[in-house]
Amino acid sequence: MQSFFQTLVSGLSFGAVYSLIALGFSLVYRTMGLVNFAHGAVLMTGAYLASTFYLSARLPFAVAVPAAVLATGVVGLLIERVLRPLESKDVDLMLIGTIGAGTVLEAVAILIWTSSGRGVPSPVRAAPLDVGGVRIPVYNLVVIAVAAVTMVLLTLFLQRTKRGAAMQAVAMDPEAATAVGIHVGRSNAVAFAIGAGLAALAGSLASPMLFVSPTMGDSLGIQGFAAAILGGFGSIPGAIVGGLGIGVIGSFAAQWFQGYSDLVTFVVFTVLVMVRPTGVFGEKTVNRA
Amino acid sequence: MNRLFAARRPLGLAALAIVAWVLPYRLNVYWISVADTALLFALLAVGLGLVMGIAGQVNLAQVAFFGVGAYGVGILTTAHGFGFWLAALLAMVAAVCAGLVVGLPALRVQSHYLGIVTLGLAVAFLDWVTNAPVTGGDSGLSGIPTPPLFGVGLSSQYLYYYLELIVLAAGLAFGYFVVRTSLGRRLRAMRDDALAAGAAGAEIRVLRMIAFVLASVYGGAAGVLYAGLIHYIAPETFSIADMFLLLAMVIIGGRQSLWGCVVGAIGLTVAQQELINLAAYAQLGYGMLVVAVVVFAPTGLAGVPSRVRRWRLRRRSGISAAALGSFSGVPSSGRTGAVLEVSGLVMRFRGVIALDRVSLRAEPGEILGIVGPNGSGKTTLFNVISGLYRPSGGRVDLDGRVISGSRPWRISHHGVARTFQHLRLFGNLTVLDNVRMAMDRTRSWWSWRYVFWPVGVWRHERELSRQAGAVLDAFGLAAFAGALPHSLPYGIQRRVEIARAMASAPRLLLLDEPAAGLNGDEQRQLAEIVRAIRASGVTVVLIEHNMGLVMSLCDRVVVLDSGAVIASGVPASVAAQPAVLEAYLGTTTLPSEAS
Repeated sequence: MQSFFQTLVSGLSFGAVYSLIALGFSLVYRTMGLVNFAHGAVLMTGAYLASTFYLSARLPFAVAVPAAVLATGVVGLLIERVLRPLESKDVDLMLIGTIGAGTVLEAVAILIWTSSGRGVPSPVRAAPLDVGGVRIPVYNLVVIAVAAVTMVLLTLFLQRTKRGAAMQAVAMDPEAATAVGIHVGRSNAVAFAIGAGLAALAGSLASPMLFVSPTMGDSLGIQGFAAAILGGFGSIPGAIVGGLGIGVIGSFAAQWFQGYSDLVTFVVFTVLVMVRPTGVFGEKTVNRA
Repeated sequence: MNRLFAARRPLGLAALAIVAWVLPYRLNVYWISVADTALLFALLAVGLGLVMGIAGQVNLAQVAFFGVGAYGVGILTTAHGFGFWLAALLAMVAAVCAGLVVGLPALRVQSHYLGIVTLGLAVAFLDWVTNAPVTGGDSGLSGIPTPPLFGVGLSSQYLYYYLELIVLAAGLAFGYFVVRTSLGRRLRAMRDDALAAGAAGAEIRVLRMIAFVLASVYGGAAGVLYAGLIHYIAPETFSIADMFLLLAMVIIGGRQSLWGCVVGAIGLTVAQQELINLAAYAQLGYGMLVVAVVVFAPTGLAGVPSRVRRWRLRRRSGISAAALGSFSGVPSSGRTGAVLEVSGLVMRFRGVIALDRVSLRAEPGEILGIVGPNGSGKTTLFNVISGLYRPSGGRVDLDGRVISGSRPWRISHHGVARTFQHLRLFGNLTVLDNVRMAMDRTRSWWSWRYVFWPVGVWRHERELSRQAGAVLDAFGLAAFAGALPHSLPYGIQRRVEIARAMASAPRLLLLDEPAAGLNGDEQRQLAEIVRAIRASGVTVVLIEHNMGLVMSLCDRVVVLDSGAVIASGVPASVAAQPAVLEAYLGTTTLPSEAS
């Protein structure tokens, strides 16, 4: 039982990171209809920026992360400008184009930071908490808390602010939104920047738990995308549930199947998608002829 | 101009073959190994092109098929002492099984969902080979033997080049054989519009599996050859980065053209070798190239010549509607019309009732009109009859046989053809191919002939072309046989869609607003065509808003409102009924009159 909870805790903290990644995917997809396979590479960029601010510029972690989020948001604006012609194209082209953009980001990261990667020491040095024999690293709690606060803020932004409501409107019907005077292009750019910021947050939060390298986004991006689909692509609560789901599945797979955790995770994911393609909160679509 | 190309093509191929054959004499040891790698990537890329470019199925697990082929040979030869070719055969079987497994999700999901699932399965495969003892884990497998051929060991990279060249040539030839004939036409139709392809008789699920099996055969063969060439395999060769590199090859070269895939693979392999010390810059370069190609030239390098040609053609003359011939009667199909009997049909979409106990009947040699306000369920009715929707209740019979609930392709094979309210022609197929695709009445299992009896495929193809030519002639469309649908004026596209529907020799024809967007002249021609179809014995049901046309054309009319039949009978009597007037114009008694 103790080891069960131990595994669960570790699954939930990775799950919180996956939720943030999935949130970025879903926000960009629902607002602009863009399936962004470069999301993992954006995340990697954010992680590198945060670790550079933290390790090289010697900023405190709590300052380095928001700075990285902002900087990556700006990078996001840049990428959105390049990818804009893809937004109206068919999904397959989008998928391929964003994979290309991700490849470019990865190459740039290798040119700036070399391909060797770097470890980031945990910013929280307190001893792990002991709850009934289950050891919970304090940093994991910080990650979960930051992710939760971010999700609440994002929901409030979407529901309570004018800009957020405009983005919701664009998501539902871009043409009608234009007709009532919403600037769709600007709304898309903001959505992409927020998505990139979320990715950067996820990447920098994950970096003390993992290892920062140019390819770190590959695996995290795939897991986050899987989480978004599992929850229901484009749905905000779906992203949270899907992220925690993938985190917990992965954690138990690692516990029970050792090295084969990716194998088990993705086989389970494939079966789940086949059973319920629309995910937990997904809309059911009907063929129209 | 096309004929000129056709005459030049064998010459070009012969020249290419000679260049490929003498190339090794000009290459040093280093470059021959690059050439060997390039040919393997070309084989992989052709497989990826078939599944993604031809069949439209996103497959990010091609590198896993490559891995299954390579590891299959590696494990069987080193751990079990199998001979190379027996191991190769079994490895190919394993690769095909992998293709079936990876293709399975395609039955349920498409596009980006399929992308992430196949990518996930590729990661799963990578995870397995990195951890399993049988694959040697991280350190991989070494000591894989050289394949012997007619008593000669192919240890020389020069000799191996020829082995690869022959396999690639055979693979390309077979690939083109598939693409240009019945099976490939169906795959391409499915890529352009899976819904319309299903309604025209294509077994979408089987075709998707065939596409993945094709990809896995090419991937597996490349893997087998790789194992025999390098004698050593390790997980990093089958990484996700290599999958994206392979994808870049196919996209840059042109995913819809097998030659494009080959050119992309060879070009990128050579470029990568040239830039081996600047790997990051090479990656930067191909990444930007992929983005640029997707944005500016989605059909890749291979698509450039045809884009230029089409652009020049449009500037010079353009396709003129004047080339439209006159309609000269429906070619007889030898099939008689069928009785359509719809009884108590109910269709519910999550609480919304789209069809409410609809019953109607259409006889052979009759034109039944279905009218009603927008949203009254007319198209939903067609979608149920043609099998796109499974009804929530009630049934549809064709000549006394229940067809409701069957898959669209099966209903098409029972003799039901349809057109769509918003044109659904296969956009990247020529007019001739649109017609040939619907005319092809073979089932998917017929495709075994591709492997065991190619002559049968050729004969079938000749027969299809002959009959399709007759249909185009009859509909006056012969001048547009080689044109892509969207390059034609709208009215002609409408006629192509009717010709496509009639090509399947249906017994029941469903026309969904065939007159929408047609001018007066075109409407008269349409009426003439529909009457000729009735005269040939086919049962016709048509949805139409143009009341003049309905009144003059239809033998009987059924009026739908809010999913229910509110009137039926001969046109004149139906038009006079108060309930019909109310449905169309609102309440019949104005409040002022009532008081």
